[in-house]
Amino acid sequence: MELIPRATFEQIRSERVEEIAAARRQGAKVVGYFCIYAPVELVRAAGAIPVRLMRGGHAAEEAGEQYLRADACSFCNACMGNFGIDPLFRQVDVVLVVNTCDMMRRLPESIERHFGIPAFQLYMPRTSEPLPHRVAEFRRQLEYLVVELAKLTGSSAGDDRLEAEIAAFNRLRAALRQTSDTRRAKSSLLSGSTMLDLAATAWLLGPVKAISLIEEVLRIIAARPRADAHRPRLMLGGSMLTEDDRWLLDMVEEKADVVTDILCTGTRWFAGDVPAEGAPLDRLAWFYYGQPCMHRRPNDGLYEYARQASRDFRVDGLVYKTLLYCDPYAFEVKRLQEALGIPVLHLDTDYSTENREQVRTRVEAFLETL
Amino acid sequence: MPGWTDPKSARVSFDDWLELFDRVPDELIERYHYYGNNEAWSKYLFPPQMFAVYGMRHLRRLKFDNSLAALRMWGFVQNETERLFRARQTGRRVIATMGDLGAVPVIVNSYPKCVAFYPDCIWWTPFAMESRVLFDAAAELGIGDATCFSRAALGAFAKHSYFPDPDLVIASTGASCDDYSGVEQLAERFAREMLWVEVPMRCGMGPMGPMGLMLVKEYERVVEAMARLTGHELTEDELRAGIRRTNTVRKMVSRLRELAFGDAALAALEMMVIEFGNLHYYSDMDEWTAVLEHLLATAEGRTARGERMLPEDALRVVWVTPPADPLLLTYVEDAGARVVGTEYVINQALEIMDESRPPLEAIAESFMAASLIGTSKARTQSVIHQARKYEAEGVIISGILGGSHCAMEGRLIADYVKAELGLPVLEFDVTSPSREVARQIGTRIDAFLEVLRGRR
Ligand code: SF4
Ligand code: SF4
Repeated sequence: MELIPRATFEQIRSERVEEIAAARRQGAKVVGYFCIYAPVELVRAAGAIPVRLMRGGHAAEEAGEQYLRADACSFCNACMGNFGIDPLFRQVDVVLVVNTCDMMRRLPESIERHFGIPAFQLYMPRTSEPLPHRVAEFRRQLEYLVVELAKLTGSSAGDDRLEAEIAAFNRLRAALRQTSDTRRAKSSLLSGSTMLDLAATAWLLGPVKAISLIEEVLRIIAARPRADAHRPRLMLGGSMLTEDDRWLLDMVEEKADVVTDILCTGTRWFAGDVPAEGAPLDRLAWFYYGQPCMHRRPNDGLYEYARQASRDFRVDGLVYKTLLYCDPYAFEVKRLQEALGIPVLHLDTDYSTENREQVRTRVEAFLETL
Repeated sequence: MPGWTDPKSARVSFDDWLELFDRVPDELIERYHYYGNNEAWSKYLFPPQMFAVYGMRHLRRLKFDNSLAALRMWGFVQNETERLFRARQTGRRVIATMGDLGAVPVIVNSYPKCVAFYPDCIWWTPFAMESRVLFDAAAELGIGDATCFSRAALGAFAKHSYFPDPDLVIASTGASCDDYSGVEQLAERFAREMLWVEVPMRCGMGPMGPMGLMLVKEYERVVEAMARLTGHELTEDELRAGIRRTNTVRKMVSRLRELAFGDAALAALEMMVIEFGNLHYYSDMDEWTAVLEHLLATAEGRTARGERMLPEDALRVVWVTPPADPLLLTYVEDAGARVVGTEYVINQALEIMDESRPPLEAIAESFMAASLIGTSKARTQSVIHQARKYEAEGVIISGILGGSHCAMEGRLIADYVKAELGLPVLEFDVTSPSREVARQIGTRIDAFLEVLRGRR
């Protein structure tokens, strides 16, 4: 039995979307973002509501193809579609886009053209070595973001508010880490699926409400007896898994435990904290610049993250799901397999539902080999 | 040219071209050498048949400019692989510059006995060879079919036989396409030393000036890496001289573009080779400069005589993104059109650098014009400008299935062009190497040109 049923998360989220819509009617501004590189602390400190736009879905992907070519990645196509159909996307006043992969960097031009939603486009160097001039340029971008956010909300983020938001988000990250770390135990009570739901919901709720939800989850985990059965321990990786990809986790977790991941919608979202020392914008610049991702060059940071997670969580295999036409993740499958030295199941799919039985066959065959 | 008079200008078949070569006197064959060398091994004016025999089968299906200058250009360009290996044998350092298309070689070539080349340009090799061998090698390493043909560069690194293993790889990334950034990442395993260079995005937040300065810092790292490699401290005068030489090339290409697009003095295939020469001068800048002078004299002569490579009434089209397969240019011209403007993602390599500025700033500033680092709207402006200047009647956008920027900007560029100019736009994806233009693409090109004709 799931610790928290999916329906509960869905209920919490739809209530939150209602709340956001009501706040917006009162004049609040909603900033949609796609990626863990978006400095949510700055958005909240300016009085706006940050919402991560991480829905996929077959209908959305199909709808998106009227705006983008079919060989734009499934996620970008689904994003375009969701601006037309998803209730959360429809609340967005401005999108905050960080130039991560090329498709994401180019997405705001289409969003603006077809939905009239403007973008704050934050340039972050793609090269991962944090040379001072690179970090300084990113910091300069953050300064402009502060100015633009102030124009949007009419309220500027003073240092005190920013410090408070940094501290609040650090607490949230710590709470999510603590929850995720319960999966280090020999037999995990927390499914990978619930962990992803929890992370997505936490970021939507904002730190205060999210932390109380997480504490509740931790209490439930502490009170439950552990099962003995040993099942394969898996790590998840690949392009972002959205709420619409939970079916895959459900399928995998029928016979295995997903104990960790290297996903930007999973543990990478809360893996570290904004450092405590220094001026707030400097700290944010260093923190976000240092986030590992496949699109960074070189991307050794994510490889190290994967090796570490694989060791810490005693992983038996990796399920690596890429979305169609997602170059940054798809290109690395073979190299990742070599680097980790564990069995890898690579699934390359769009959001369509027709191939699920094929995927099930491959998942089952993979689990049998472990 | 003593001992030679060009026939009346025309596009000729491979066989006619061979016959033409037979008439080239020996003194001329002896005359052209690369690397300023007079040894027998550095000659390059060879019959096209030779390159076809070596595997460039596609040559047999193209149409060529029948001038001596063009014969010379093709010989020089086709000889590049051999030239790079000779560079190594003769003690030159071979530096792979990847991903920025135009800027870093200006620095590298300013060093004595250093040769910069772009593995990126290997993407034409599978077409020229009509072979998938390099794509298969890339697939072995993780990059399959649904991406840009530039993946051939990864295959070439793995094969170790298309260029010498570079002494240094300088890989630019940042506001670049994912396809090639991914190629660079996977090529890292073959690099003795890899220097990653950040290229900024023109549409970030705040004023652009500081991004140019950030780029200067990146170029300072290139200078440091080159100093480590060569033991040579580059002087400002050397770098200024490098910029002047590059500008000489860029100015000639700019004039050739005018003569080709305005007066049809050169055809699209040769012009594509010429424009891409601005990236790295086919690994010998001095000789490439001489080749360009020759081409320029030929083109000016034609214009002065009122000779054209393509008929006066040919349909005028602007071409966006490289046609990838040279056969397409031949096809479009055979079908009665001519190219009067190009946006081949290399704007940065066409910019003239300001010689009065501190050199690295001048290079950085010219790079900020790069096609890929801004919005599609900005890129379209270059298309619109050329379309107006040369009264284009239509725009052709040739994309690549799975090319990250093609997927995101193809439709936008088409929309902007239609909205601003009201011109018909044809968008299609280039197919894999083959002996002929895919029937479906051929039909679409024919229908498109029919539409343009109907609008006259
Ligand atoms: S990382 Fe991949 S899935 Fe995500 S936006 Fe980029 S191309 Fe699309
Ligand atoms: S053609 Fe486009 S996708 Fe291919 S390497 Fe060049 S910029 Fe990248």
